[in-house]
Amino acid sequence: MIEITLEVNGVTKTLSVEPRRLLADVLRQEFNLCGVHIGCAHGACGCCTVHQDGTPRLSCLTFAVQCDGASIRTVESLGGPTAEHSLQQAFRSEHGLQCGYCTPGFLMTLVPFVDEMVEIGRRPDDEEIREAMSGNICRCTGYHGIVAAVRKAIDDGLGEGSVA
Amino acid sequence: MRPATFEYHRATSLEHALQLLGEFGEEARPIAGGQSLVPMMNFRLARPGHLVDINRLPLNAIEIVGSMLRIGALTRHGAYFDHPLIARHFPAFLDAVHYIGHPTIRRNGSIGGSISHADPTAELPAVAVLHDADIVVRSAAEERRIKASEFFVSAYVTALEPGEMVVAVEFPIPPAASAGSFVEMSERSGDFATASVGIVLEHEGGRIAKAAMVCSGAGLVPIRAPDVESHLLNRALNDPHAEEAGRIFAASIDPVDDHIASAAYRRSLIAELTRRAIETACSRALGRS
Repeated sequence: MIEITLEVNGVTKTLSVEPRRLLADVLRQEFNLCGVHIGCAHGACGCCTVHQDGTPRLSCLTFAVQCDGASIRTVESLGGPTAEHSLQQAFRSEHGLQCGYCTPGFLMTLVPFVDEMVEIGRRPDDEEIREAMSGNICRCTGYHGIVAAVRKAIDDGLGEGSVA
Repeated sequence: MRPATFEYHRATSLEHALQLLGEFGEEARPIAGGQSLVPMMNFRLARPGHLVDINRLPLNAIEIVGSMLRIGALTRHGAYFDHPLIARHFPAFLDAVHYIGHPTIRRNGSIGGSISHADPTAELPAVAVLHDADIVVRSAAEERRIKASEFFVSAYVTALEPGEMVVAVEFPIPPAASAGSFVEMSERSGDFATASVGIVLEHEGGRIAKAAMVCSGAGLVPIRAPDVESHLLNRALNDPHAEEAGRIFAASIDPVDDHIASAAYRRSLIAELTRRAIETACSRALGRS
């Protein structure tokens, strides 16, 4: 067992973990963050994407012991229980989810992309949006609604008039 | 599934990492991004008894050393997109990076990891063979340089000895009058390649003066195509007989036959990828995008 300290969504905990425990399992079981979904457990579906020190990372391909001292964000950090983040709202209005299993992974993959586009003031074409989400698999809604949601969140962030 | 048990060691310096790898020998594996090793561990296809975490070591420089571009083992795939030296000297390399996994994988996966894992469909091993790169490996006792063509022994098998790890990959910088391209086919964006072909051409007076070609999917390791390389010599850039080159290469190989594609399909795919790679490289040499 190895003692590690993790800061997750603003909560800091020191805990003792077996080296083989995946970050995804520790977030779900020790931090009770069940928004971290595990799909394939080998890096093919993107469901378990979280942010480690601000960068998207697959928590099924990460051992919790590797994250000692790291800052982790999960989908729960985005818009609270009512999902008020602009990308979450756009997923709702553009039908970007159906069963919702893949949604936390899509959101955590795409929020930095949306933020970057808004920050540099650029509207990406659909192909670029599809490339940004190519590591995430959805098996029910399909991808059109998700692309539309990303486009809407970027449009909302840029506001009217600012075009690039 | 979840991994079998192992002991975890966080290396604080390269010497520390090499000492740990030496101490635990075949039981130990270095871990960087974990994008290949952890899936293998989750499926229990790999069961290392000791993991040596090298993520905090300073092995991520991309720099010119003499006539070589030296890329530190911990360089993440995403670092190449905005790198001026890659864009200027290594167009085939840059093309290839776009085919590696997905954005999240590219942000975390490292060149040392990809080279050491030696997946037969992976892009960076193919790029290393294409460019006659040197794989620089270290153990506690010594440093060795291994030619890429000798480093990849079989699928997932390399020339690395227990106690050794890749510390850098060095690519000879091609002359200014050169061009390249890399094309890949996979069933889904970012998925494992069904096959890929890379080309580097040196040219003079509108003709090909030297050619290198690599192919993944034709065997268990990336292979060069000497018949195509000699076929291309002295060809005009605006008429390189690319289709013929594809036919010549396809006739000389015995491609992998698996659940992704039959050997016959791969053979015709590789012929077509060869044509496209040559035509794109020639077009770039002529200054067309």
